[in-house]
Amino acid sequence: MDDYTIGVLTNIGLFSFLALSAYLLLITGEMSFGQQAFFGIGAYCAGILTAMYGVSLPLAAIAAMALGALAALLVGLPTLRLKGLYFAMATLAAAEMIRILFELLHFQRTVEGELLGPDGTQGFRGIRWVFESGVEPLHYLALIYVVLAVVLGLFAWIERSRLGATLRSLGQDPELAASLGVDVNRLKLGVAAAAGALAALGGVLYAHHNTYIEPRNFDIMLGIHSLAYALIGGLGTTFGPLLGVVVDIGLVEGSRVFEGYRMIVFGGLVAVLLVFRPRGLLDERVVHWLRARFS
Amino acid sequence: MFVDLIQNTLDGLTSGAAYALLAVGFTLIFGVLRRVNLSYGPAIMFGCYAATWFHVHFQGGLLLLAVITIAGTVLAGAYVERLCFAPHRDGSAIAAMVASFALWMQLEELAILAMPKHLYAFPALYEGRPLALGPFSLRVEALLMLLVTVATCVALHRLLYRSRFGLAVRAVIEQPVAAQLAGIDLPGIFVRIFAVASLVGAIAGYLIVSSSEQVTPMLGMWSTLKGMLAMMLGGLGSLPGAVLGGLALGLIEAHSQWFFGPQVRDLTAYLLLFILLALRPSGLWTTTRSAS
Repeated sequence: MDDYTIGVLTNIGLFSFLALSAYLLLITGEMSFGQQAFFGIGAYCAGILTAMYGVSLPLAAIAAMALGALAALLVGLPTLRLKGLYFAMATLAAAEMIRILFELLHFQRTVEGELLGPDGTQGFRGIRWVFESGVEPLHYLALIYVVLAVVLGLFAWIERSRLGATLRSLGQDPELAASLGVDVNRLKLGVAAAAGALAALGGVLYAHHNTYIEPRNFDIMLGIHSLAYALIGGLGTTFGPLLGVVVDIGLVEGSRVFEGYRMIVFGGLVAVLLVFRPRGLLDERVVHWLRARFS
Repeated sequence: MFVDLIQNTLDGLTSGAAYALLAVGFTLIFGVLRRVNLSYGPAIMFGCYAATWFHVHFQGGLLLLAVITIAGTVLAGAYVERLCFAPHRDGSAIAAMVASFALWMQLEELAILAMPKHLYAFPALYEGRPLALGPFSLRVEALLMLLVTVATCVALHRLLYRSRFGLAVRAVIEQPVAAQLAGIDLPGIFVRIFAVASLVGAIAGYLIVSSSEQVTPMLGMWSTLKGMLAMMLGGLGSLPGAVLGGLALGLIEAHSQWFFGPQVRDLTAYLLLFILLALRPSGLWTTTRSAS
């Protein structure tokens, strides 16, 4: 595989985590404009640990996921009772606050004669754990997809379980779910924390692929993109968000046919697609049909 | 110190006036359609870019550029309405919002393709020295901005409270189903309110670019964010609330910038919004109906 293909495939994998994070909230009926903040927290936290303190990537990833979940809990506690646009705006406000805090974050130390660490709007360079540990780009790509496969396995397991049905019932009708004995608030907080951890995991892998991150990587654009990925691909199955990422990064950006017109093509495609399929390509009906057909 | 406080208040009110107009346009669309139009700011950016393009090639006067800004914005707004809101009228609010995001991407890339430099100069609203009022200075263009804002709000008030169209619009905001049963043509109201909102947004956009004397592609995201922020501060769906929310946002920004600098300025606005939503989701000024 040439470098270009590896790069495109890597990006598809990386942004799938964020799309899945948005999807997880969407199926429980919450639309978040703020998942990019937890992606950013993961990126910064793991970058600081590996580049500045020599922690290994797996440990750093676990710490970053914990921090992402914690941050999502803190944002979720006062906001999860909000609905619709109120929740979206509250998460947007929280995410922009976190992004501005990245801009204000100056925390550097000298490691082996080199000054490393986040330097406000100047960004954070030198997150080279992958390179220094001798991991080839192709192997890193494989690593990303193995982690993604594990996550997808978890999702598939949850969707088949009682928990999956409960989650979808929250999205359909929270009052009915509550009257059936579901602890709506606790479950929603749990989902928010899981979505935060998942976004953070994506951020960890993103930072170590790019080796350089800056606050504006994690602005509102990224958040709306992840929502769009989940919705284009479809809300019927876990593969929906992945399909959304593949359509954008794989087909439109990767094919290089639309060089310079990428956003015009992608934007028009999405708007027209949503007219005919308002719940995405793989919506519940298509998924149901496919399942009936092949199982 | 005291002089600075008053000066900041004056400056805050000026930018607040522009925010108020942005919020009013946003609120009109949200109040009537119950949909979030993320392409609201980008349509304004498109109108401003059309005027800038004309100015770069043919040198237009201020009034002509204002007309082009408005025409461009209304045109882009109509495109957004046809592709994102007309098809999802009875359908999914999220699909409409994501579709409007998709068109945002389109409008932004179109602007960049037509005019690839990052920053373009825009002719100033008024070239001359600021008025000195004792220790305070008042920019003439700021005064013009306030005047135009007040005039726009008065005109809008007359349209909404003194005309049959306004009566129909208010009926739709209060009770869409009953309004339709009473024979009000909902799709027609939607299209026209979209045009009115684009017009108000275009006026705001023109005032903003001609007083800052520059245009960048970031104007789209900026207008959408400021409009939404001011609308949420004022309480969703209330027009007086939108005006007050805009002014409040301008004042908060001016004062926190003076005390803490530009990065904390944005932080303060978001922090206040977050606290407000967590404690009092109906906004500072309560509305008649909450959003779902």
